[in-house]
This record gives sequence, C-alpha cells and structure tokens, in this order.
Amino acid sequence: MRQLSIMVDLDRCIGCKTCIVACRNHHGLIDHENDQPGQMANYIRVESKTEGVFPNLKEDSWVVMCQHCKKTPCAKACEYDAITKDEQTGIVLFDQEKCTGCGECIEKCPYHVIQFNKVDNYAHKCNMCYERVTHGLDPICVDVCLTEALSFGEKEILLMQAEAKGKQVIKKMSTQSIIYVKTP
Amino acid sequence: MYEDGWIPTICYQCKAECAILARVENGVVKEVKGNPRGRGKVCVKGMAGITSLYSSERLKFPMKRVGERGSGNFERITWDEAMEIMETKLTELRDRGEAHKFTYSMFPHSVTDPKWRFVNACGGFISTGLPHCDSGKIMAMIHTFGCFPNHHIAPMYNTVPKGGLMILSGRHPFGCLDDACVPKHILDAKDRGAKLIVIDPLYRTEASKADWWIPIKPGGDASLFLGVCNYLLENDLHNVPFCDKWVREGDMDNLKAYIKDKTPEAMSKICEVPATDIVKLAKMVAEAPSACIDAFKSIMYGNAMDWGHAWTIFLVITGNLDNPGGQPLPDIAPMAPVEPVPPAPDLAELGYHRTGKDREKFDNYNFFLQPTWYAAQAIKEDALKVFIATECNPAMSEMGSNEWRKAVTMKNEDGSYKLELLVVTEIMPSETMKWADLVLPDQTNYERWELLYMPWWYNFAHGAALCQPVVKPIGESRHANSVFIDLGKRMFPEYFAFKDDVEYYDIELAGVGMSVKKLQENGGLWSPGAAGFRKYEDNGKFNTPSGKIELQWQMYKDAGQEWPSPELPLEYRRGEEEFPFILVNFRTIFLNNTGAWSQNNAQLRDPISGLDANPCLINPIDAKKLGLEEGDMVTMESSTGKIEIPIKLTEKIIPGCAGIIHGFGHTMGKVASRGNWSSDNELIADAGSTLDEQDMRGGEAHVSTRVKIYK
Repeated sequence: MRQLSIMVDLDRCIGCKTCIVACRNHHGLIDHENDQPGQMANYIRVESKTEGVFPNLKEDSWVVMCQHCKKTPCAKACEYDAITKDEQTGIVLFDQEKCTGCGECIEKCPYHVIQFNKVDNYAHKCNMCYERVTHGLDPICVDVCLTEALSFGEKEILLMQAEAKGKQVIKKMSTQSIIYVKTP
Repeated sequence: MYEDGWIPTICYQCKAECAILARVENGVVKEVKGNPRGRGKVCVKGMAGITSLYSSERLKFPMKRVGERGSGNFERITWDEAMEIMETKLTELRDRGEAHKFTYSMFPHSVTDPKWRFVNACGGFISTGLPHCDSGKIMAMIHTFGCFPNHHIAPMYNTVPKGGLMILSGRHPFGCLDDACVPKHILDAKDRGAKLIVIDPLYRTEASKADWWIPIKPGGDASLFLGVCNYLLENDLHNVPFCDKWVREGDMDNLKAYIKDKTPEAMSKICEVPATDIVKLAKMVAEAPSACIDAFKSIMYGNAMDWGHAWTIFLVITGNLDNPGGQPLPDIAPMAPVEPVPPAPDLAELGYHRTGKDREKFDNYNFFLQPTWYAAQAIKEDALKVFIATECNPAMSEMGSNEWRKAVTMKNEDGSYKLELLVVTEIMPSETMKWADLVLPDQTNYERWELLYMPWWYNFAHGAALCQPVVKPIGESRHANSVFIDLGKRMFPEYFAFKDDVEYYDIELAGVGMSVKKLQENGGLWSPGAAGFRKYEDNGKFNTPSGKIELQWQMYKDAGQEWPSPELPLEYRRGEEEFPFILVNFRTIFLNNTGAWSQNNAQLRDPISGLDANPCLINPIDAKKLGLEEGDMVTMESSTGKIEIPIKLTEKIIPGCAGIIHGFGHTMGKVASRGNWSSDNELIADAGSTLDEQDMRGGEAHVSTRVKIYK
C-alpha cells in the first residue's frame, strides 16, 4: 500500500500554532485585509490534555489535521465522487469542481477537520500539500514546525524511524494515516 | 526595486527580530519562513505578520488631534504640516533652554538607531520599556562581571552539553522572545542529555517538557538560589580554581560569611520550596558540566536587584561564565561611526529619572536608559514637555497606566496641556494614539529599511541583519527612522549630512567591510557565527573597575545592599490579609505584550490560531475556599485598581496566586478591543509611587502586586 504520512512527536510539540498560520498563508485561506477572528478556515488545529493534580501534572500537546483515513468516511458520504483517496500517495483529495456543497462529508468526518467555504459553496481540507509533496517538498506544517515535532514520509519508513529513536506509537491516536508517537 | 520571489528581510512582530524570507508574488507578500542563513525559524507571530501588513486597520496618512486628548478625534493633515508642527515645538523647547524636557520612547533596533541619533542631536532623552523587563538582570551583570546582557541574551541552548542544566526561573522561552529557534534548541539539548528544570508558580509548556518542575512562591527566586549557593559553598562544591583566579580578593570570604545563615532550611521558609529540593538542586548543579539560568518575569518583581545579584553569584561560584552551556558575555558588531556623532545628554548633570521632588528617593539606582514609567511623574513635575512614542504603547503598557493617561491630560491654569506635544508613530490604532496630538502612519518590517545589530540578540550580538522593503508601502506611511532623519536634516544638518537611511547604514556597515548592497546579495545577514567562549581569558580581565569579578557591591555599602537580601518583595510581605492573592501576570507566544501589532492581528486573536480569552486563573483549592466556580464573574482588586473578569480553574497554578495574561484590555482597534478582557496594568501600582522601595531592591522593575478576588 502506498501511504504518505506525517508523524507527530508529542515529546517535541509545544502547541505553538505556527503550523496553523503558515498553512493558512500557504493555502490562501485568509483575507488578511478583512477577516476577523473566528471567521477563518484552518486545515490544522492544536489539542492538548493535562492530567493530574497540583503539583503532579503531565501535559501533552499535538496537532490534528485530516487523518487521510483508510476507509474514508467522507468519500463514502459524498454522492458526487468529489472525494478520492489518491492511489499514488494515499492522500485523500477533494475535487472542488465536483463538490456541490451539500456538507455530508463534514457531518461524517470523525476528526472534524473539513472546512466549508460559504462564499463559493464547497468543502475543503488538508491535502497534505499535494502540490508540494509530489514535487519533493515537505508539507508546509512539517517545513515550518518550530520544534521539528513533525516529520513527513512514507508511513512505514516513519514507523521505522520512530522505533529507532525509542518512540512508541500512541495507538489510540494513530488509527489512520497520521502517526502520533512519544517516548514511553 | 521590488522583486518577486523569496526575499530575505527581518520579522518585527516582536523584539526578537528573527531573520526571515518573505515570498512576494506580483508585489504582494504571500508567505513567510525562517531564513536558513539565520536560525531558520519563524514563530506564529511572525507567520501572522502578513495580516498586520495588509489589515484594513492600517493607519494610512498623518493625522492631527481635533478634540480633547483621549477623545480619539483626528483630522487628516499632510506630512509637511506634521513636520512643521514637530520642528516648531522642538525648536521652541530648545530656544527656551529646555531641550532636555523632550523624551522619545522607542525600542532602538541598533545602538545607533537613527531615531536615537535625532534625540541626542536635540539634547533630549530616550526612554524604553526595556528597563522594566531587564534592569535588575542588566545592572547585576554589569556590577558583578561587567557585561551587558538583557533578556535576549538567553543562555546559548545550542551549546549546552550532555548533562548540562538549563534552569528557567520565571521564564517562557517557548514564547520565542529571544529567537524562534529557541524552543528547538532547548529540546535538541534535552535530546543530547541536558536537563531542563523549570521554576515557576505556573505549570506551562516548558514545565510539561521539563525533567523537573519546581513550583515556587513568586519573588522567591533570590532565596532559592541563595540556599543553593549556601549548600555549594558550605560543602566545597563550588568551582574553586575559577573563583581563585577571577574573583576579587576578599569577596569569596565575605560571601561565605554573608551566606552562612542562608541555609536551605532557612531559605525554604521564604520561597516555600522544600529544603530537600533546594539541596537536590544544589547537588545536581555540582555534578553537572554546566548550568545556566534564564529569568524574565521573576526579574521584574520588587526584589529584582536582589534576585539579579543572587543569580550572578550563582553563575560565578559555579564558573558558568562565557562557557558552553553557561551565561554568554556578548560582544557587539564593530560598526563604523557616522561622524560627527551628536553627544548624548549629560546624565550626571541632568539625571534621567527627573521625578521632581521624589528624585532623591531613587538616587542610588543608575541605568543608562530612562524607564518609560517616569513620564507620568515628569509631566506632573513640569519636567517633560514633548513626548514622542514609536513602537510602544505607554497608555497601556505602563505599570499603573491610568496615571500615565491622567498625566497627559493635566492642564496648566491657562488651559493648555502640561505636556505640550504628544506624537505617536504607529501602524495601527493603539491606546496611546487616542491621547496623541499627532499620529504618524509608520511602516511595517515589510516596507522599510533598517539595520539591526544589537547587544542583546540571541545571536550573541556578533552579527548584523538587514530589514529591507519587499513591497510598496501602504498609503502615505513612512518609516519613523526616515521621518526623523528628515526632521534632523531640517533642524541639525551637521549631524544628518548623509543622503538617507540607506546611506547611513552603508557608512556604518563599512566597519565590517559590508554595505547594504552586499548584505542584499548575501542573504541579508553578516554573521561570522563565532560567539567566542571565555573571552575574559583572552582579555586577561573582566570589564569591571577592578578587572576581577566583584561579588560584593561595595558601592552600595551605605545603602546596606552589598549583598542580596533573600526576602520577598515588600509588596508580598504586607497587606496579605486584605489582598490574599499574589498576581501572576504572564505572557504567551501568541501576543506580544501590550503592543497594538499582535493584539490587533486577526490571526493572533483567532481562537484556533491564537488566543482570544484572558480569564483569571486560580487553583481549585482557592476557588473552593472562595465559593467560586468555573466561569463566575469576579472582581480582582488591588490597592490601586480593579477589574471584572471571569474565573478559570486550573491545577496549573500554585495555590495563593491569581494569573492573568499581560497585554489585553485594548479599547482601540477592531480586533484588539474584542471581548471584555482587561489589562493587568490596571491592577499594578504606578511605579513612580514606590520609588524608595524600588531604589535598591527593585531597580525599575515593578510588577509585584497583591489582589483580592470576590464575586
């Protein structure tokens, strides 16, 4: 199976959100002149979890983008064949021309990452920077990550690299094509 | 002159000023990334800089006030009119022998910033917010080992060896105010086997990555490290060869005598860190190949000088000066002077904190930059008549900012304002603009020329960087440097004989065999890259009067401050019954303090990509005692102010403290004024009201505040 992937290292993610803004700039998701907070699309978001009671605390941060699912519930929900899983890369791609803006895919996405453009009536999301990665570049989020918590490559290779570094895959979070790892 | 492609320039979303590349397409900036010839990183603020550049709220032409100060009513004028107004008033001031009653508040981008040159030519003063943040650290390091680091001279985390200790004591380096590469450098050092120790009343991202989080009572840093030093000295675990060679004769014996009773047990009672943990930390330090400390918020408290002093003693007795993993002692790039150089005002004659009748209360403290908080005092005392502000926001960023706002509206009997002219240069609406007589539209870093070489960069100062315009300026905006070079040409042509800003930088760059054009052709940077270690060995001395490290501050003998006191700031030792909580005001990576630039940036105030809330954080233990629940609206009240704010419960704050983020509460700017959030400075007392306490213990720092919280 061909599957490109992004590996998120929770040992290094500091939840700084640099990737969110860089992604917005790169994909033109913002009208810098007029957009107000809360009005902008985002292909990636930061989540975090704190556990314990003062002063014995633990906290992890990570990013969530399209997980490029194996069984693509978004594609199954789309009646217009606007969503496909690319055979060459395993990237889930949306075809803006075919999208009718019905919003079914948004309802079905378990990760709540699909955005909707109200002005032009279409759904859109992270395409793992398809235009970059098919020409030898890393996705923008990986390229700009402040702490190099993100790495890009073929999924099996990334898993091998994680093992070599003594990182454990967090299975609960890594059920699709994006891998989350941490030192046990 | 504007080209498409990836163009090297400098970010100015915060004072770190990281080297970046801007991607320009058809004359529009589309993307930003770190300049790989620099340190290669840009943080979220830098990425969002494009939003500041193109925001519909940009100020586009010069304006003159038409209502009373504070009304925010302006009318458009021409640049010629604006220049005429400034020239007339400054000339009048000089002609009546009061040139020193002019102050320019700014953040200089080099030690020869053209605006600073203009101030010196005028005979006025420069003031900056820098002393608030760092004066305790800067003064301590100048006194003890004769170097000038401020908070941007963080430890060089990329040099920390395996086993080295990185100690953050009230510091948020993941906020990227040193350089966007710092988080990576810290985590890389950890991967090499260095240890990260975080001492903080708040559990933040740094603590989540740390090997050890030590919660501490705010202001307890001096006592904690005096306890560590006591253990090291009592057990002969200090660096004896280093101290024998470099410390002034007699100082070690006197230190040992002074510190004898500062035992971990005694110090634990002050900082509330268990004595066993103080001993554990001391043992870790003794075994480590290096140790460094970075502090920021903790050096702003009312015992800043004591903490700075204890900090330098710790560095010295462990030999961690200018070594890999220790405290850097920076050099500055040797630029050529632009002759003739206008002389700086005579500080010995005039003093810089011209606080009228209170002046003698602040006589012991000396610093070469005037603190911005003095403005309110000086206006009241008729010692300040013209105030210009660039890239700063004193109406909000002053401790006790209400006093500043009050002072600028004070009038003489004839109805005229005591402060005769208030000018603001800004890119967007700011609180300070609301009170200004003249508002001049400034340029962002994407539209202007600037030569940067500072002694306080994370790049150890030994370099220079070029900010160059990559797109056409918006509206009639002009960079403040260029405006004050032109005003300088009108008023003092002898000091402004060069053609323009670019020629000024060309003359300076000749000092390192460079020019603006050569920098443009070489990635925008001159960066030899060698920080140099243990430069005191090459020099054979430290830059102190004795040439040795001076642990004992003999010049403060009469004031009883030869050695650091372990006591908490005075503000924390009184009023506990009425105001039981200690205010912890802190920063985030998303918002650059009180400045309008990031607060008015839609991406940085977006809840997904930035931060759009500033509730009061308290521990659930305290909430239970007060009968408060998540989201309850409460009043936070100090002895000088109060704010209304919702409560957020979190295990991440030490009981007894109340946390809010520094920098919210704007009323100007559509984005910045979102929500009913408040500024911490409404709670903090006016610095000028506590000069006697600050004089020796606090320096210019003054954020120590107690509050009460009630529904």
